[in-house]
Amino acid sequence: MNEKRELWIGWWTLVVFYNLYGLLFFVITRTQPPPRPALEPSEIVRWFADRHDGLLYGYAIVFIVGGATAIMNATLAYTMRRMSVSRAFAYAYLLIYALATLPGMLLMGIACTVGAMRPDRDPALMSWLYDFAFLSFEGTMGVFLIGSLIWMVAVLLDQNGVFPKWFGYLNLCNALTEVVVAPAWIFQSGVFAWNGAIAWWINMGVFVVYTIVFLTLIRRLILREDFGTGPLPELRTDAAA
Amino acid sequence: MQQRETEAGRSIPGQPDMWAFVLFESVVFTSYFTVYLVRRTQSPALFLQAQAKLSLAVGVFNTLVLLASSWSIARCVQAARERSFSAASTNALLTAFFGLVFLVSKVREWASEIGKGYGFTADEFFSFYYFLTAIHFLHLLIGGIALGIVVRELRSPARRSLELIETCATYWHTVDYLWVLIFALLYVVR
Amino acid sequence: MSRTDGELLLLWTLPGVAVIWLSAFLLFPGFVHPMSPALSAEEVAAFYRDPENLPRIRYSMILFNWFAVGFVPILALIALQIRRMAHRTPIFAYAIIACAAGGPTIFLMADLFWLLAAFRPMRDPQLTLLFNDLAWVTFSSQVGFLIAQSVILALAIYLDRQERPVFPSWVAHFNLVVAALLIPAAFVGAAMTGPLAWNGVLTFWVRNAAVGLWIVVMAVVLGRAIRRQRAEDEAAAG
Repeated sequence: MNEKRELWIGWWTLVVFYNLYGLLFFVITRTQPPPRPALEPSEIVRWFADRHDGLLYGYAIVFIVGGATAIMNATLAYTMRRMSVSRAFAYAYLLIYALATLPGMLLMGIACTVGAMRPDRDPALMSWLYDFAFLSFEGTMGVFLIGSLIWMVAVLLDQNGVFPKWFGYLNLCNALTEVVVAPAWIFQSGVFAWNGAIAWWINMGVFVVYTIVFLTLIRRLILREDFGTGPLPELRTDAAA
Repeated sequence: MQQRETEAGRSIPGQPDMWAFVLFESVVFTSYFTVYLVRRTQSPALFLQAQAKLSLAVGVFNTLVLLASSWSIARCVQAARERSFSAASTNALLTAFFGLVFLVSKVREWASEIGKGYGFTADEFFSFYYFLTAIHFLHLLIGGIALGIVVRELRSPARRSLELIETCATYWHTVDYLWVLIFALLYVVR
Repeated sequence: MSRTDGELLLLWTLPGVAVIWLSAFLLFPGFVHPMSPALSAEEVAAFYRDPENLPRIRYSMILFNWFAVGFVPILALIALQIRRMAHRTPIFAYAIIACAAGGPTIFLMADLFWLLAAFRPMRDPQLTLLFNDLAWVTFSSQVGFLIAQSVILALAIYLDRQERPVFPSWVAHFNLVVAALLIPAAFVGAAMTGPLAWNGVLTFWVRNAAVGLWIVVMAVVLGRAIRRQRAEDEAAAG
C-alpha cells in the first residue's frame, strides 16, 4: 500500500479536482452550462455584472488549483507507461495535455476576469471578451482530439491488460466529441452553437460518462498494480483494500 | 482471449467490447436523431421544403451500396470461419470497394448541393444534413481502418484472429445500420 | 575528467538569464513603479503614447519574449533530479515537466499582450486598456503552474525516503512557503486598489520576490545536487 502512495495521490487529485471543477464552473462562476452566444452587447455587460463576484473569486480559485492538472496528466500518462506499448505514447499524451490547460481552461478564466473587473468597459469589447472566453474554452478541440486518440491506440495495442478494450473505443467517442463541437465556431444560435443541445448538452453527457469511467478504471488499475512490466494481475476481491 | 476462438457455439461474435461501443454510439446517435426530430416538429414547413432539395435517388443508391457492403463483409466472416481465407480476403476487398463507392458518391452529393447554394449554414435542415452525414462519413473512414485490419489479419497465417475479424465486421455493420437510420430520417421521412 | 553532458552548462545559463530578466524588469516603465489598475483608458493610452515610455516598453518586452522560456532548462534539470529520488513511479517527474511547459508559456502570453498594447499606441484608448488589462491579469494571476511546481517538488522531496535524499527537507518546506506566497496574486481581478491589485504589495511585490527567491535558491540547491551526483558517479566508476 505504501508503494502505491504516489498513485493514490494522483488518483485523489483527479477525483478532488473534477469535483472542484464542477463546483467552480457550474455553481460559483456560473459559466456552465454556457449562456447564449446571441446576446446583445448590453445584455453581455449585464451578464458580467450579474456574476461579478462569482467570476472574480471563482476563477481566482481556478488559477490557484489549475496546476493540479499536471499531476492528473502525469497519472494518466503513467497508465500508458504500464502498458506494453512504447513510452512515446505516455510522453506524447503528457505533452499534449500539459499544454491543453492554457487555451482550454485558463484563457477563459483570464477573459472572464478581465471582463468582470471593469464593468464600465466598452460593451463592444465586453462582447469580444465573452466570445473569447466561451469559444476558447469549448472550441479548443485538437488537444483533446489527438490526446484521446493516442490513449485509444495505446489501450487497443496493449498486451498487459491495463484497461479493457472497450475503454479504448470509449476514447474514440470522446475524441469525436471534439469534432461534434466544431460547428460552435460557426453558429451563433441553434443546436450547434456553443450552448446548443448537440454541441454542449450531448457532448457534456459523453464527457461525463467518459470521466467517471476512467476514474473508476484507474482506481482498479492502482488496486491491481504489481509494478512489473508484464500483464497486470486481475483484481482479487479479497484484496480490495 | 484466444480460447474464445476454439469454443464451439460462441454466444457473441467478436469482442464484447465492440458491442459495448456499438451500444454507446447508438445511444449517442439516437440522441442526435431525437434533437433533429424535435427541431423538425418546430418548423415542419422549412424542413420539408429543404428536404425536397435532396435527391432521393442518390440516397437510395448510397443505401444500396452500403447494404451490399454489409453483405460482402458477412460473407467474408463466413469464409474466414470456414477457413477459406482467400475467399474471405476477396470479400473484404469487395467491402472496401463498396465503401469507396459510397464515399465518392457522398462527396459528389455534397459538392452538388453546395454548388446549388445549399451549404452548411444555408438553413437548419441543411446544418443537420451536413452534420449527420459528415459524422457518419467519419465513422466510415474509421471503418476503412477496420477493413485494413481485416485484410492484414487474413494475409498471414500467423495472425488470422477470427475474433478480431468479427469485431471489425461488427463495426462495419454498425456503420451501415447508422446510415440506414440517417437515410430514413433525412431522405424518406417527409 | 568530467563528462561533457552539458548539464552544468545549462545550469550556468541561469545567472545570464537572470541578469537579462532583471534588466528587462527595470527597463519596463510599468514595473519599477507598478502601474495602477485604477487608471482610466485615457491615462493608460497616455502611458503607452509617452515617448519616454514607449521604446522602454517595447525593448523590455522584446527581451522578455526572447528569454521567457529561459528557465525551462533549470526545470528540466530539476525533473532529472526527481528521477533520482526513491520513488516507485515517474509521476512526479512527469508532473514537473507538465508544469514546466505551462508556466513560461503563460508568461510569454502576457508579454505578447504588452507588446500588442504598445504596437499601435494611437488606437482607441479602450483597446489599449483591454490589452494592458489582459497583460497584467495574465502576468499576475497565472500562478497555478508555479504553485503546482512547488507543491509537487515538496511532495516529491517528502516521499524521497532514502539515506541521502536528493534534496534536503528544508527545500520542501521552502517550496511550500513559496507556493503559499503566490496564492494572493490569483485574486488580482477582485481589487483595483490595495494589496491585491496588480500593483499591490501581495500581488506584485510579494509574488515577484517569491518567484525571484525560488529561482535563486533552487539554482543553488540544484547546483549542489548535480555536483554531488557527479562525485557519486565518479566514485562508483573509479
